[in-house]
Amino acid sequence: MTDIEEVDFEVDQEDLDAAPVPAGSGTGGLSLLVNDLHVTYRVFGAKKVGHGPGRKQGTIGRLLSRGARQPAVREVKAIRGISFAADHGESIGIIGVNGSGKSTLLRAIAGLIPPASGTVHVASSPALLGVNAVLMKDLTGERNIMIGSLAMGLTKAEVKQRYQEIVDFAEIGDFVNLPMKAYSSGMGARLRFAISASTVPDILMIDEALATGDAGFRAKSKAKMAEIRESAGTVFLVSHSLATIKSMCTRVLWVHEGKLVMDGPPDVVCARYKRFVEQSRKRATA
Amino acid sequence: MERTLDPAAVNRAAEASGLEQIGVRPGLLRYLKDLWTRRSFIQVLAVSKAQAENQNTYLGQVWALLSPLLNALVYVVIFGFILQVGRAGIENTIAFIVVGVFMFRFFERSVMAGAHSINHNLALVRSVKFPRAVLPIAGVLAELASLGPALVVMVLISYLSGFLPIAGRVTIDVYWLLLPAAVALLWIFSTGCAFLVARWVALTPDLDNLLPHIMRVLMYASGVIFSVDRYLGDFSWGWIVEYQPVAVYLYLVRSSILDEPAYPPDLSMWLLGIGWAALFVIAGFLVFWRGEERYGRD
Repeated sequence: MTDIEEVDFEVDQEDLDAAPVPAGSGTGGLSLLVNDLHVTYRVFGAKKVGHGPGRKQGTIGRLLSRGARQPAVREVKAIRGISFAADHGESIGIIGVNGSGKSTLLRAIAGLIPPASGTVHVASSPALLGVNAVLMKDLTGERNIMIGSLAMGLTKAEVKQRYQEIVDFAEIGDFVNLPMKAYSSGMGARLRFAISASTVPDILMIDEALATGDAGFRAKSKAKMAEIRESAGTVFLVSHSLATIKSMCTRVLWVHEGKLVMDGPPDVVCARYKRFVEQSRKRATA
Repeated sequence: MERTLDPAAVNRAAEASGLEQIGVRPGLLRYLKDLWTRRSFIQVLAVSKAQAENQNTYLGQVWALLSPLLNALVYVVIFGFILQVGRAGIENTIAFIVVGVFMFRFFERSVMAGAHSINHNLALVRSVKFPRAVLPIAGVLAELASLGPALVVMVLISYLSGFLPIAGRVTIDVYWLLLPAAVALLWIFSTGCAFLVARWVALTPDLDNLLPHIMRVLMYASGVIFSVDRYLGDFSWGWIVEYQPVAVYLYLVRSSILDEPAYPPDLSMWLLGIGWAALFVIAGFLVFWRGEERYGRD
């Protein structure tokens, strides 16, 4: 956690200046405003947080060291002070290495994980579209479609109307009447995507949804997302694929260890990010 | 890249563009309204949970009847016939214990459902935004749904046990009509308790381990398997045990369907039952609502 100083992000001052002016510009086109957002997770039973193996200890040493020195509850700071503003019509990509806090950031903006401090202002309630939207694995696909859609705020009539559409899109056929734990992981992911894609929100957040399923479904979900993207006001997209980000986004946020590293046009940020990843890979092999 | 905005500027900008802050607790009225619009969500969630409860077994939903039945059987045999504590002051021990066990089981399971409503549904909480009060309400409603058929069995056993030579008669009278009202009050009270424990367990998971023991104490302090009046009525604090909510609801149910001379229908008990239910559901809801913005973080 402390090695952030060692990493050379190579951010020049002109890049910072090129970033869109965050807030207070009074353009009226603002759809989302995040200020100094912090998110912490409480983790129970975690002895050590961070990288690398724990200190080697004998059995006796381990027994002795059990006490006040290692508290039972640790706090993991997933987001450590992120601020930005988004306008209507922007589509913003979020990139970063694994564990950098991308998904947490999305969830916090969507109002699903309460911030420890800082504020999030939105124009309308955002919807998170993702393959992580785990529903209830003991229930059938049909029940999950009902529950997922109703939870998103649809009425029963609307759900009935869209039910067949969701089943067809997910391509799960007769499996819809089996409990979700009987599904293959691809089927489950497809169903979750289909459920969350059934509404068109004003602020849309997509969490690695493109990685879902086989090539055929991927193409289909890409088309669906483009369709949603066109009708949605503001889109956030978390992806590890820089090509996807470049083709879909008008602006990119680079998140590292819970902090914003860069905020700017896709070409510039992606190029820097790529260089950073290559450098750290080189450092790892060296 | 570090930047923070001035909170005042943020507020100004938010106001200018008509933005709303999220991650903050909505006002009480708005919350209630949100909850009301999700009523079909609550209903579907409850029914699905009740259906999923026993689906991993061969007998399936039969267990919804069989488990409370076996539970009652154990108590009838041990406390009614072997230890005989369930006989003092009671004419029909079987009906007395069966009613007590069935109703207390519903309460206990409702509270546990409330306790787990946030922590066992974290995936749902973290992927869709909705008023979290949906979860404890649906959890208790699911228990009520499985109580329905069990209630028929309970009434049937109570009635049939009246024909045994060792037991007092159970007659069908106009008071039987009060049974749904008594169960409804217990349901409202249980929902209130579910709200309370839902918040406590969500923020302090350790309480989950204490709950079964509290429930056990409550069971013996509520006269589920013996008459509290007979055993604890002589103590100076006996009235606390007699008028605490769970004992009151057991009294109401028993006075409705049984013919026990020690449990006559009593208006003041009904008023007390209504009072407890209102107090717990309102206080529980407020307590739960005040923690709304914190659920799902841990």
